[in-house]
Amino acid sequence: MEESKSSHKNVYSPEFWERFQSKITEWEEGVVKERLAPEKIKPYPLTHSGGLDKETKKEFTSGSGDFAIKRVYTPLDIKDTDPIEDIGLPAQYPYTRSRDPVGYRAFRWPLGFYAGYGSGESANQRFRELYAAGAREIGLALDLPTQIGLDSDYPLAEGEVGKVGVAIDTVADLEGAMEGIPLTGLYTGTTGNCIGPWMLAMFYVLCEKRGVDPHKVMVTLQNDPFKEYTGRGTFIFNPAVAVDLASDVVEYIFNYLPEWRSQIYCTTPIRWGGCSASQEIGFGIANLMCYVEAARDKGVMPEDYIPRANLHMSSDSDLFEEAAKFRAARRLWAKIARERVKTDDPRVLAVRLTVFTAANRLTAQEPLNNTIRTTAQVLAAILGGVDHIHVPAHDEALALPTFESTRLANLTKHVLHDECFVGTTVDPLGGSYYVESLTNQLEEKARHWYDQVEARGGAKLAVERGYYFKEMAEGQYRYQKEVESGERQVIGVNKFVLDEKIPIKIFKGDPEGEQKQIERLNKIRRERNNTRVEASLSELRKVAETKASGRRLNIVPAMLEAVRADATIGEIFGVLREVYGDHTLPGVF
Amino acid sequence: MDHLPIRVLMAKPGLDGHETGAKLIARVLRDAGMDVIYTGSRQTPEMIVRTASQEDIDIIGLSILSGAHKELCSRILTLLRQEGMEDIPLIVGGIIPDKDASVLKEMGVSEVFGPGTNTSQVVECVRNLMCSREKH
Repeated sequence: MEESKSSHKNVYSPEFWERFQSKITEWEEGVVKERLAPEKIKPYPLTHSGGLDKETKKEFTSGSGDFAIKRVYTPLDIKDTDPIEDIGLPAQYPYTRSRDPVGYRAFRWPLGFYAGYGSGESANQRFRELYAAGAREIGLALDLPTQIGLDSDYPLAEGEVGKVGVAIDTVADLEGAMEGIPLTGLYTGTTGNCIGPWMLAMFYVLCEKRGVDPHKVMVTLQNDPFKEYTGRGTFIFNPAVAVDLASDVVEYIFNYLPEWRSQIYCTTPIRWGGCSASQEIGFGIANLMCYVEAARDKGVMPEDYIPRANLHMSSDSDLFEEAAKFRAARRLWAKIARERVKTDDPRVLAVRLTVFTAANRLTAQEPLNNTIRTTAQVLAAILGGVDHIHVPAHDEALALPTFESTRLANLTKHVLHDECFVGTTVDPLGGSYYVESLTNQLEEKARHWYDQVEARGGAKLAVERGYYFKEMAEGQYRYQKEVESGERQVIGVNKFVLDEKIPIKIFKGDPEGEQKQIERLNKIRRERNNTRVEASLSELRKVAETKASGRRLNIVPAMLEAVRADATIGEIFGVLREVYGDHTLPGVF
Repeated sequence: MDHLPIRVLMAKPGLDGHETGAKLIARVLRDAGMDVIYTGSRQTPEMIVRTASQEDIDIIGLSILSGAHKELCSRILTLLRQEGMEDIPLIVGGIIPDKDASVLKEMGVSEVFGPGTNTSQVVECVRNLMCSREKH
């Protein structure tokens, strides 16, 4: 594979650049200097629009603080950017502009939701409402005990059952949650991460019980353990074990359920925890590469793994930095994948980007303001050419969302796409001096962060040693100081603050949910075939011990039997905890 | 008169693993001259009270984002009373609806902080709670 003999990096002649530079100098020393002459400055409120006021800051930086932002961008700022090699065309290496040549012109987003709370029945009520309202994508939110592989009556689960999502102990709970919802043709799945093999088994056995062909249900398992060690906190085992179990899921799905999606790598906890846009790209690529290699070790080649996986990112508030971020992410991935996998295969080099907009920017004060924030964040994602977008509701800094707030958040991308025509052309910001300059700067800085991870022995070691925590804590601290000093404005929090709170309707959960769940759990324990349960757990233990000794064996078949037998989630992960040990994170701050 | 630094225990009880806020407050309190111990996440009420006793803690700060605040605070306050440690103030931060904040205060929680709280408020609150404690 030879380096393509590039045509000219400089589109214009050297004389043109000289002429342009002198134009800029003339402009700065003439028009700008005149505008900012002290004797001319009239501060607000003497002017209506601030048209004669001085600039509000000495130096302007991008939203994540990485880059100084100039007053204006010109062709000189991207003088070395090659329109063919660096910007290119959609769906061509390096994929700066898009992964798909026709972009959103062919896009039909389903109405999709992430929801769930209480016991299966309570969740089912909301799912039916959503389905009746047209939702064909229903992601299940799971409660904390479920995400951590604990039964609803585990001591530390008290008060947590059904609070942040649905409580699932056995497949009966999942059946309850999905009662009356047609599965065929539905996009569904969960964001469970360290419970991947169990989640696979749950959906598969659900299909069995409903007599539905699992190949016709579009299940996505997030199955992303790294996320849990970088700010989300619902981890179970140590990172090496977690990655091994997660890649068993990847292997099984590739071989037996290729219509399902088996893994997504999420940079969201890193970003929401305080990292910058460039760190999000650099760390994201390093971590996803680790999953690519774990999959390859299980026989799933990069050209089969990558098209089914996503890099799932935040979309933060600086509109242009974020749009540029997605473009830089695709370009840097393409270059690094080419280096590491040593291929030109577009299946490997074109990474799929999905988004969950910046939940960390939601304010509890004046929650309706959040709808404005998320609109801009969704717009940034669309302008960045991502493949799918999820949006939290405006009241989620206060509680779980209501049906109305969930639906409103979901409609954002539909209004922008269908009414505001932002998807009519592919990569509308391509060629913008500002955005191309930002894309270049982001790529360069992201590469630095990627190198930092690799210098530490790669993603698994970086995660184990808590490298990301330090960067997150620094970024978060800086942000907090900026808000508290007023340097960074947050409307309703430190600017235009209302004295009185505007009341909004907040979701009320199911106060009896925990009790009902525990009763059902006990009923199942009494009524099931306990001999079968014992046998299945014994087999699961044998498989785990084999794996723990270093021999290769996929855990999913044993997991399927345990789930069919109605072994509870706590029993299943209890066995695995005994074999693999528990994990704690260092309390470093 | 020289004061010994205030000893703060920052803890995350229950299953919620989002540590960003807890770590931020821990750092701010440390920058304000306090001795801060952070337990990490997934602490039982028993573990927290035991650590507070062993580490000779002056004030306990909890971070709870999962909605389980009523159950967890109730248990921790009960244990503190049982151990004769009820004079140690308990402050709580996280996702706590206003109505629940009142309930927590009635239980005996000294102060409740929501999202967007200015960190200097937390520092001031800790100092005030320590001052009023010294008066007794």
